[in-house]
Amino acid sequence: MIIRILLLGSLAAIGWLVFLRRNRLPIHILVVFTLLAVGGLAVIFPEMTNEVAGFVGVGRGADLITYVVAVTMLFVLLHYYTKFVELQHQLTQVTRELAILRGEVDRLAPPSAPPGSEHDSSAT
Amino acid sequence: MLSELTTPGAHRRDTWVVIAAFNEHSVIREVASAVADDGWSVVVVDDGSRDDTAQAARVPGVVVLRHAINLGQGAALQTGIDYALRRGARNIVTFDADGQHAREDIPALVGALADAEIALGSRFLGSVEGARRRRMLLLRLAVLVSNRLSGMQLTDAHCGLRAFRAEVAPRLRITQDRMAHASQLLRKIKEAKLRLVEVPVTVRYTAHSIQNGQHGLQAIRILFDYFFRPT
Repeated sequence: MIIRILLLGSLAAIGWLVFLRRNRLPIHILVVFTLLAVGGLAVIFPEMTNEVAGFVGVGRGADLITYVVAVTMLFVLLHYYTKFVELQHQLTQVTRELAILRGEVDRLAPPSAPPGSEHDSSAT
Repeated sequence: MLSELTTPGAHRRDTWVVIAAFNEHSVIREVASAVADDGWSVVVVDDGSRDDTAQAARVPGVVVLRHAINLGQGAALQTGIDYALRRGARNIVTFDADGQHAREDIPALVGALADAEIALGSRFLGSVEGARRRRMLLLRLAVLVSNRLSGMQLTDAHCGLRAFRAEVAPRLRITQDRMAHASQLLRKIKEAKLRLVEVPVTVRYTAHSIQNGQHGLQAIRILFDYFFRPT
């Protein structure tokens, strides 16, 4: 029974965190709480998962959960990898703009130090 | 046209030589100032070096841009290209920072743009100095793989010395930040059906350029980037 308390407690904690950061679309919150509710039911009535597993053609409920989690994790991983690459492209663009901007600032309004002024005259 | 492009002086200013540099403080000043002394416009992109590459490159006639963080050679080249375009470049040349290229080859590359849109340097049409047999074999292998990937028949792969006209630059945008940019460039040349010519160049390997250069094993990472990094 300890495991049930641990699992339910974890689910409740996740629910609480999601509730605290509810700056998402309502549909996201709805999806998360539905998933949490399904998880909670599975913890309280484990036999239920066996029935669902049998219905879709998997031996045990625990196996079904393993498969679903594995596929979900792969999906999440892919999602974040795509985001990561996108973010990297954005970072490249920001860094590039910054470099060019600083170059232009140095050229058009050279720092008062001597190296800047000779740099300016030669660049134009 | 050809004479106009190769005449030293005013017209050379319209050609921008882009040098991407990462931790090259010991050689960058010499390399950049030599190219600038020939009359070309020069932009050095310091790709977030940990040493004082940017400071070392600050010589008259050389514009220095600095990436706040290290992004990779492909990104640095594209930054230099973007800058050159904004400054009204007519031609763009990419040149390695480590001193392996000869600035004497630039006029021939730029001159070749009279009849072509892009000119790629070829060390196998030209000459290679200071390379051991192992490196030469590796380079030959790279040529085979590269031709296979790009579906082109070139005599060299990924020579960093090349020239192209400014108007084709938008079709050659590098989105591969790291080393796979060279393969990406070939693919884009093919897709855009650009008129391409190979020009013999001299590549001179020194202890420094070998130490700062790519190791054979890094080819694996380049291939990974090429195939798996969405662009």
